[in-house]
Amino acid sequence: MLDPVGTWNRSSTLPARDFSRGAASVQLLVILVPVLLGLMGFAFDLGELYLVRGELQSAANSMAIAAAQKLAGTDVSSDAATLYARQTLENASGFGNKYFFGGLAIGQTNGSLTSEAPDPAYFATAVDATAGSTGSEVAGAQARHARVTLTAEAPLTFWSFLSLASSRRVAVQAAAVAGISAPLCTGCGIEPIAVAAIDGTEPVNFGFVPQTEYTLGYVCNGNPIPGSLPNTAGRIPYLLLNRLDTAPVIFTDEQSQLYRDGAGGLPANASTTQACLTVNNTELIWATAAPVQCSTVSPGASVVSWMCGLTSRFEPTYPAQCAGIPEIDTMSAIFPQDTEVTETTDYTQYQGNGRRVITVAVVDVLTAVGAMTVLGFRQFVVEPVAGGVDVNVADANGRFGALFIGSPVPLKQGSVSGCQISSGPGKVVLHQ
Amino acid sequence: MKRGSRGSTLVETVLIAPVLIMLLLGMTELARVVYTYYTLQKIMDTVARVAGTTQSVNFCNDSDPGLIAAKTLAVTGSPDGGNALVNGLTVDQVSVRAERYEAAGNTLAQCDCSFTGCDASAGGLPPDFIVVDMPNGFTVRPLFFGLTVDPFLLKPHVRVPYGGT
Repeated sequence: MLDPVGTWNRSSTLPARDFSRGAASVQLLVILVPVLLGLMGFAFDLGELYLVRGELQSAANSMAIAAAQKLAGTDVSSDAATLYARQTLENASGFGNKYFFGGLAIGQTNGSLTSEAPDPAYFATAVDATAGSTGSEVAGAQARHARVTLTAEAPLTFWSFLSLASSRRVAVQAAAVAGISAPLCTGCGIEPIAVAAIDGTEPVNFGFVPQTEYTLGYVCNGNPIPGSLPNTAGRIPYLLLNRLDTAPVIFTDEQSQLYRDGAGGLPANASTTQACLTVNNTELIWATAAPVQCSTVSPGASVVSWMCGLTSRFEPTYPAQCAGIPEIDTMSAIFPQDTEVTETTDYTQYQGNGRRVITVAVVDVLTAVGAMTVLGFRQFVVEPVAGGVDVNVADANGRFGALFIGSPVPLKQGSVSGCQISSGPGKVVLHQ
Repeated sequence: MKRGSRGSTLVETVLIAPVLIMLLLGMTELARVVYTYYTLQKIMDTVARVAGTTQSVNFCNDSDPGLIAAKTLAVTGSPDGGNALVNGLTVDQVSVRAERYEAAGNTLAQCDCSFTGCDASAGGLPPDFIVVDMPNGFTVRPLFFGLTVDPFLLKPHVRVPYGGT
C-alpha cells in the first residue's frame, strides 16, 4: 500500500534535476497530443478518401458500361452513348450516382468542392482503351470501347485542423473501361431464325458481304423458287427455330409467342435453353412452321405471325393479316418502334434506336427435317419494302429485305464460355 | 513546487487520459460509420449488377425470385443466405427501382409497372437503368460509453445500366 506521506517526503528529497519532471510530462503531452490527433485524423481522412474513391469507381463503372452498350457501329452511336452514359449521373429524381456518403453530385461544383465528369473517350480496341494517354481515340462507327474518368474533390475532416495542411480538400480520381466482350457462345434475347452459312469456313462473315441487302425468304418446297425483292443481292432462305414455350405464363398462344419473337426476339426466361441459342448446339425447326409449297399464297400462319412481329418494329398499328393473333392489341403496345424506318443502305449512317437490328443464328445447313448446327450469330437490319415503311406481311414466301451488318451491336445478355469462335456479337463487359 | 511535480503528473494523466480515450473511441466509432456506409454502397452495387445481368428478373415484383436471389447474395455474401455482411441489414430494407430512358427527349423516368412499362410478368420489356437504394436508410448508432449518441442515418444508392456483365 502506498504511503502518501512517504511519497511526498521522498519527492521532497529528490535532487534538483527532478524539478522539471511535471513540466516534462506537460511538454510531452503538448507534443504528443497533436501528433496523436494528427495520426488519428489522418487515418480517418484516409478512410474517407478510400470511400470517395470507391463511390467514384462504382459511378465510373456504371457510366462506362452504359456508354459501351450504345456503341453499335454507327456514326451517331458515340454521341448517343455519351448522352446515355450521362444518365447515370442525372439527378432530377435524386438517384444519380454521387460521392461522399452519397451527398455530393458528381460532375458538378458543390460549394468549394469541384467534381469533373468529362464525356467518355471512345476507342476501337480494348488495348487502346486501357493504354492511358497513348491510346488513340476514335468516334462514331469505329468505337467499341468506352473509357470514363471521374474526378472529385473530397473534403478533409480532421487533417484540415492541422496548420501543416495546405488544403482542406484532396482530388480523387477513378477510371473505368468497358467495351465489347469476346464473341458470345450463348446469345440471349436474339431472334430464333436460322440462315445457312454461304461459306461455313469463313469465320468473320460466313460468306455474307457486309453492307449488302439480301432478301430473307422462308424456305419453301418445289417450284418456282421465289425471287429476291427489288434492290437486293439475292434470296437467303431462313427457317424458324423451335423455341415454343410449352409452359408459358403469359401470351400462351403459339401464334402470340411467334409474334413476340418477331417483335422483340426471344422473351426473357429463367431457362436459358428457352431464352437463348448456343453455338455448336443443334436446333430443330419450329414444328408448326414447316415449309410449304413455294407456289402457295401464304407461308403459313406461324411464319405470318413472326412477320407480324417483325413489322411492329416499324409501325405501332398492325396489318389486317395479323388481327387474328391472340392478344395482339396488348402485345403491339409493348414493343416500341424504330426511330428510323426508311431504307438503310449504309449501316454507319443508320440513326435509329436499333429496333430494326435482328441477331440471327447462322447454321451449317438449313433443313426442315433434321438437326441444324449453330455456327454463330450475325446481325441484319430489317428493311422496309421498296417505297414503304414496313414489312410486307402478305408476302407469299415470307420475304423481307435485310442489310447484313456483321456483328457490331452488343447483346444485352449471353455467355462467352463454351465454344471456340473468333467472331460474332459480344456483350458489354468491364475491362478491369 | 517540487512537492507537487509528481502529483501533477498523476493529475495531468488522470485529466488527459479520458479525453484521449474518448477521442480514440470516438474516432473508431466514426470509422465504423464510414466502413458501414462503404459496405452498404458496395452491397447496393452488387444487387444492381447481379439483378441487371440475370435472365428474366421482374423489377416490378419485390418477391421476384431473381431479385431476392440478387439481394440475398449481396446482403449475405452467399447465394444460400446466412448472416448479413452488415449487422442488422435485411433483404427487405433494400429496394430496387427500374428506370427507362427516352432517347427522343433525353429523359430518364421511373418505369411503370404495367405491360407497356417494366412489368415482366405482364410482358413488359426490361428497364434501361436500375436504381438500388434503401428508402428508409440504415441507422448506425455509435457506441460511446453507453451514452446516447445521435444515430447516423445512412442512405446509400446506386444507378447502374441494365445488361452487360
